[in-house]
Amino acid sequence: MDGKWQALCRTINEGNSEAGVAEALRLLETGETPLAVFLECVEPCLADIGDRFARLETFLPELMLAADAVKAIQEELLPRLQADGSEGYGKGRVVIGTIFGDIHDIGKSIVSVLLQVNGYEVKDLGVNVPAKDLVQAAKDFDADLIGISGLMMPSLPYIRDAIALVKENPELVDRFRIMVGGGPVTREWALQAGADGYADNAVGAVTEAALLLEGRP
Amino acid sequence: MIDIDRLTDVVDRSLTGPVVEERIFDLQHVAAGIQNTVRDYEVQADRDHVVNLDDELADRVWDAALDFLASCGVYSKDTGRVILFSRDEIERLVRAAPSQVPMGSGPDARIDVARTLEDPRPPLITGGPIGSPTPNDLFVPIIRSYVQEPIVDMTCGATLTSIAGREIRTKSPLEILAAWEEIDLMRQARELAGRPGIATTGIMISVSDLGNLTASSSPAVLPTDLHTFGIISELKTNNDILNKLAHILMIEGVVDPYANPIYGGLGGGIEGQAVLLTAELVALSVFFLADCLGTSPTHPLQFQDTGRDLMTATSLSFQAIARNASLLTNLTITPVGGPGTKTLLYETIACAVMSTVSGQSRILGPRSATGAIPAHFSGLEARLMGEAVHAAAGLTREAAEGIVQNALSKYEHLLDQQPYGLAFPEVYDVQSVRPKDQWLKMYEQVKAEAIGWGLPLDAGSK
Repeated sequence: MDGKWQALCRTINEGNSEAGVAEALRLLETGETPLAVFLECVEPCLADIGDRFARLETFLPELMLAADAVKAIQEELLPRLQADGSEGYGKGRVVIGTIFGDIHDIGKSIVSVLLQVNGYEVKDLGVNVPAKDLVQAAKDFDADLIGISGLMMPSLPYIRDAIALVKENPELVDRFRIMVGGGPVTREWALQAGADGYADNAVGAVTEAALLLEGRP
Repeated sequence: MIDIDRLTDVVDRSLTGPVVEERIFDLQHVAAGIQNTVRDYEVQADRDHVVNLDDELADRVWDAALDFLASCGVYSKDTGRVILFSRDEIERLVRAAPSQVPMGSGPDARIDVARTLEDPRPPLITGGPIGSPTPNDLFVPIIRSYVQEPIVDMTCGATLTSIAGREIRTKSPLEILAAWEEIDLMRQARELAGRPGIATTGIMISVSDLGNLTASSSPAVLPTDLHTFGIISELKTNNDILNKLAHILMIEGVVDPYANPIYGGLGGGIEGQAVLLTAELVALSVFFLADCLGTSPTHPLQFQDTGRDLMTATSLSFQAIARNASLLTNLTITPVGGPGTKTLLYETIACAVMSTVSGQSRILGPRSATGAIPAHFSGLEARLMGEAVHAAAGLTREAAEGIVQNALSKYEHLLDQQPYGLAFPEVYDVQSVRPKDQWLKMYEQVKAEAIGWGLPLDAGSK
């Protein structure tokens, strides 16, 4: 990474939102475009953080703080991106939650944060989310992808319900992709239930999300 | 006489504790709290050893965990408040916690007793798949394969995958039916194995409080059985959980909950995980009135607790507790390997040996193939787990370390390859419930290897 980006990358690694926004604005004053800030600095910096988590060289708190810093930078720079006519930065919008009846939080949160540090805008609905609430939230958030986690066998039918609410609705079937995962969920189960994608861990979820949203506007 | 004062005290505190946003609780109370105590108490694990050899370090982990728990508390998701106990209160309640609990009946009566480091008395063996998914037609033979092993002291159910040909839905009548079915199938398996009084932990199917509250009334649930529930990672609760606890108290059952901190999660790496695990186990005693304190710490990507870093943290945590309290701690061994693989057997030996010398009172499982693959578990690995535990009882930590390192060298490079192995019917004759020759041969081969590493598996059980 070019030396001019090092300071901004450092603020992201430190999870320092205030300093990150200040440094991003300083870079704009030096003539850098908002798109360059994202593509040449924020994105590779976040990819590096994600890689370090995959090797367990950094941990969830650092990921959460880095995601916060990037969110603050995005909120400051995205209006300028749109103003200068650049196509919107970001790989897609994701609504994610643990399905109804299941209170497992941390695994889903790791997926949520890893998606954020890889450039996705994520709305995390938390745990114990009813199927219809997942779908409604996806509509409200204008999501591209719905991510559903389920670690308890008796909760899996509710994942199937959520998938059906999308796939059996002609207005939604082409609007959202659905990715599922969690302890008892297998790729075979996911496909049989009608999901578009499946991942067996957080790192795989980022890869799967990229595949599912590839080529979408 | 049922004492409900402890529970009402917890409920009161959940209604009057400080209001905190959940994200603030996660980041400031838990994550920052762990980082601060790890720094203040200079907790630094020895990366060269899996089995902790440093008593002063274990004591610092204990102190750090109690300070952390007193400042962090437990978050109530229903009230949005933090339940707090002071360090003095925590210490007093830990001192008052049971150091032994009877379970099971008749010839299968056992007493779970607090152990010390390198204790020559072996931990109790809970043989079972610990809630792993199981088709209905295999439920009884699979559970029987564990219960029929003489070295198994008690058992634990699997999770049914369907009821009356239908998918089971939590918080629905199907969950209630499935919970009753699980209890009855466990009864059948115990009777077929000739051990009707062997203690059972359950109810595994019941995610919500519904199934627990109804099926606990089944006559197939014995007064000498154990009742389990999990708290929410990290250090959170809700009324579903407290409802289960209230019911267990009112039926005077053994309170046998668990907390499974995620490695690499809010606790961070080895040191933070050791402090967090210690704090969560103490929290089970203080906040959730546990008789027995259970865990299966979880790797975030491989879902095992048999890897090097996780075992290092677990050993340190259990030693911290064993040196500073008389609590009944237990670990569910969760290997990645499944039946028909040597990986499963090596993982089981490593984790069983580490746990035994680190002072745990009971060891559960193995929850083979991460507990996620239907019917990928069998009684033979529980036999090996029990034999390894008995052989390791009384070993020094240094001797145990050598065995653990030998075992790790056989499998740690395979942990990310998902060696889930074979389903039960491929490794056992389902009718006779006997292991097939190839699986038995593999077991004998691994035992011979472990004897060569210094684990006296040929010395008979203690």
